[in-house]
Amino acid sequence: MTKEDTRPLVLIVDDSPHVTGPLRILFEETGRRVVVAASIVSAVRACETERPDLMLLDVSLPDGDGLSVLEILHGTRALPPVTVALTGHDDDLTVQRCRAAGCRDVLLKPVPVRDLLRHAAEWIPERVVSA
Amino acid sequence: MTARTDESTNALHPSASVEARLAALEVAHQQALREIAELKGRDTLKTQFLANISHDLRTPLTAIITHAEILREGILGELSTRQHESIAGIISGGRRLLEMVGEILTYARGAANQLEIAPTEVAVGDVIEQVRRLNESLVARKELCLEIRVASDVPRVIADREKLAHILGNLLGNAIDFTPAGGRVWIRASRQHEEDRDTVLVEVGDSGIGIAADHHELIFQEFAQVDASASRQHHGTGLGLTIARRLVELHGGRIWLESELGHGSRFFFTIPTQHQA
Ligand SMILES: Nc1ncnc2c1ncn2[C@@H]1O[C@H](COP(=O)(O)OP(=O)(O)OP(=O)(O)O)[C@@H](O)[C@H]1O
Ligand SMILES: [Mg+2]
Repeated sequence: MTKEDTRPLVLIVDDSPHVTGPLRILFEETGRRVVVAASIVSAVRACETERPDLMLLDVSLPDGDGLSVLEILHGTRALPPVTVALTGHDDDLTVQRCRAAGCRDVLLKPVPVRDLLRHAAEWIPERVVSA
Repeated sequence: MTARTDESTNALHPSASVEARLAALEVAHQQALREIAELKGRDTLKTQFLANISHDLRTPLTAIITHAEILREGILGELSTRQHESIAGIISGGRRLLEMVGEILTYARGAANQLEIAPTEVAVGDVIEQVRRLNESLVARKELCLEIRVASDVPRVIADREKLAHILGNLLGNAIDFTPAGGRVWIRASRQHEEDRDTVLVEVGDSGIGIAADHHELIFQEFAQVDASASRQHHGTGLGLTIARRLVELHGGRIWLESELGHGSRFFFTIPTQHQA
């Protein structure tokens, strides 16, 4: 029997490799696995098949409003336990919209690496390793 | 001497009839309208280009900053002191560039009437404090004395917190930039009543180099700087005040200044307590 990889899985949803590239390094070098999606459709698929522990979600994707990923998965088991929004806008309304859609936090790009590191542990509870 | 002339070009000739002259005037008027429309179209294209290009400049820039921050945090290995210094340089240069690109984007959106405000109830004193903290290290480095006075009766305003911080940040940034080391800079807020409405009056003042009366209008224009020479000491986009004015006006307020060359500057703006859309 192959041993299951118990490292937490992070799904990064953003259409720019400029954003996903450094974040992949950040999470992989700190003991997590990473999956990347560049659109609403592929993010929904990735949630269904990979069941990530944390989703970082860009709010503006090529095929529409990033927050609709949460809307589509609402009430299903594929909805990630924690979602954090990534945005280019820092006004109160954007923040309210993300929170209303169910995001735990809202990060302004460029994603502050210190904050990410500080919060990662609370966003991704270690997986309960089954005996 | 000429036997026949084009009516439209020579309609103002003494021999032309009043009718012909009126017709010529109409032709010239239509021509001018067409030219204005074309210039406006080009201006819109240029603004759109600015907005697009600054958005596209942001993304690779954020990659540079994030990569550098990952290095700084030591995730990819411990750094020597010198490596730390070098990476800190990449991060601060990158952040400064990002700020300038952001200013150009805000300006272009403003010029294209694409700037919107998201008003909530805001305590002006809190925003002043936020901006003070952001500028703390600059103030300390130039050994300036920064004094803040918010009158106790200043009411809350209905405003876009982020944009209010942007206005204050641009004005305080200028006050710091244009005041020699050891000088004084201040921010004051008080309650005002003007034209049967309540407003909050904010003053950002400094004991710095001042601005000659001739330039009071000019500096609010896009890209305008009093010293625009290549050898100028101060480097910036020249958009800070254009943006500040746009944002104040979006809130229904006014912005103006009192200043004399060599005698410091006082910039004032008002924000109505009730937002009128
Ligand atoms: N407090 C001040 N004292 C003296 N001169 C000022 C002051 N504020 C603005 N100015 C003059 O007005 C010009 C335009 O200011 P503005 O903030 O629009 O652009 P900038 O400061 O040159 O560029 P940026 O804001 O991008 O750094 C400045 O270059 C300077 O000449
Ligand atoms: Mg300025």
